[in-house]
Amino acid sequence: MPYLELTDIGASYGSKPVLAGVSLSLERGEIASLIGPSGSGKSTVLRVLVGLLTPSGGSIRLDGKPIDVGNTATIRDLRRRFAIVFQQYNLFQNMSVLRNVMIAPLKVKHRPREECESEARRLLAQVGLGDKLHAYPDQLSGGQQQRVALARALALRPEVLLLDEVTSALDPELVAEVLDAIRLLAAEGMTMLIVSHEMGFVREVSSQVVFMADGRTVESGPPAQLLDNPRTPRARDFVGKILRH
Amino acid sequence: MNYTPHFGQITRYLPYFCGGAAVSLLLATLAFSGGMVIGLLGAMAKTSGGKVLRRFAGAYVTFFTNTPALVQVYFIYFVLPSCGIVLDSFDAVLLGLTLNSGAYLTEVQRAGFASVRRNEVEAAETLGMSRRQVVWYLVVPHIVRTLYPPLTGQFILITLGTSMGAVFGVEELTGRAFSVNAETFRSIEIFTVVGAMYVVVTILASLLLTIAGRSLFRARVSVF
Repeated sequence: MPYLELTDIGASYGSKPVLAGVSLSLERGEIASLIGPSGSGKSTVLRVLVGLLTPSGGSIRLDGKPIDVGNTATIRDLRRRFAIVFQQYNLFQNMSVLRNVMIAPLKVKHRPREECESEARRLLAQVGLGDKLHAYPDQLSGGQQQRVALARALALRPEVLLLDEVTSALDPELVAEVLDAIRLLAAEGMTMLIVSHEMGFVREVSSQVVFMADGRTVESGPPAQLLDNPRTPRARDFVGKILRH
Repeated sequence: MNYTPHFGQITRYLPYFCGGAAVSLLLATLAFSGGMVIGLLGAMAKTSGGKVLRRFAGAYVTFFTNTPALVQVYFIYFVLPSCGIVLDSFDAVLLGLTLNSGAYLTEVQRAGFASVRRNEVEAAETLGMSRRQVVWYLVVPHIVRTLYPPLTGQFILITLGTSMGAVFGVEELTGRAFSVNAETFRSIEIFTVVGAMYVVVTILASLLLTIAGRSLFRARVSVF
């Protein structure tokens, strides 16, 4: 039984449909990547999973149990298990790095302050920012901010980490430092669902690659298969374009 | 004009005036604090309240920003007693100034709600924060930080507005000027000194507020 299973999810922003049939399943400890052209709905899938967008149809099963997305308690439970890192980091500008990482465990989970702080320090050291604890987000580079965002997501001890194009807004020389931090998590066995355009990275860390187009999941499989020998014409066309250079 | 000012005659009232300035500042601080709370609630109602709350907040702001503060205090001091609510002059002036500044501060803080970064709020929601936590940990610091200059401006306006306390016999700076004037008839000297004291008090207050804002809230404000 898969840990997370999406079946035929549909969703729209207002009257504009963005998802029209998304199905995928994820095992515990697995890393799956969503790839596809811009506007295909990859990020929207992640937004649905953290309750930022309510799907209009389909079903989500977690640990075999169906999730009722209209229920606030269920959404709260989803947010407890899933942590998301955004393309634009979305750090709290009015808080120091340390407080950005501490605030959710402290105020949402009500863990003791000392525990939150030592955990935050450990996570920030792990992403290589042990010396930036008291800096503010606007004093950091994009790569550093994204690593803070990663530490902030991890501070909640999520079961699944959702990464939404986390390197797309970064200067090329800063991409590696963020990917290194993610590799470390992958090595620790973190379950992840990644939206990424870094095909080399996707091939390296994923056990499963899901190709999306026009709000639908078109094809999925191990990276070697999907990236080298896609079966569907849509996927073949996409992969041909991005891997040509 | 062949009037010879005699400032010497009113120097002995200086400590008395200083006490009055302290009362003015106390009134202003209380009214501003209360107004900030009302303003925050008003801004929340206007931003994310239901239809009834939005209408109510709108009517409140419209009423209090379109009538003179003096008339509002008159109403509280002379009309409310007929409904059985009797306030002494200090409390009536305080309530009037609080409600008045609450209306202006609703509008100021609403601008804060409108300008808070949407994606920070989303991040907070996905971290599991409740709406109240989002307001408290994100929106309020954002308001204080980015709207610091209009907020201090509002505080200064309230400080000057406390002078209407004189009309109701509150012993604030202008009220004390009125009583000394009635005793000595040295109007020119008294109101020159009292006017200067208002200048000193407001400049000192905005200086202190600016320094506090920069160090406590990382507000982007220059001292002069």
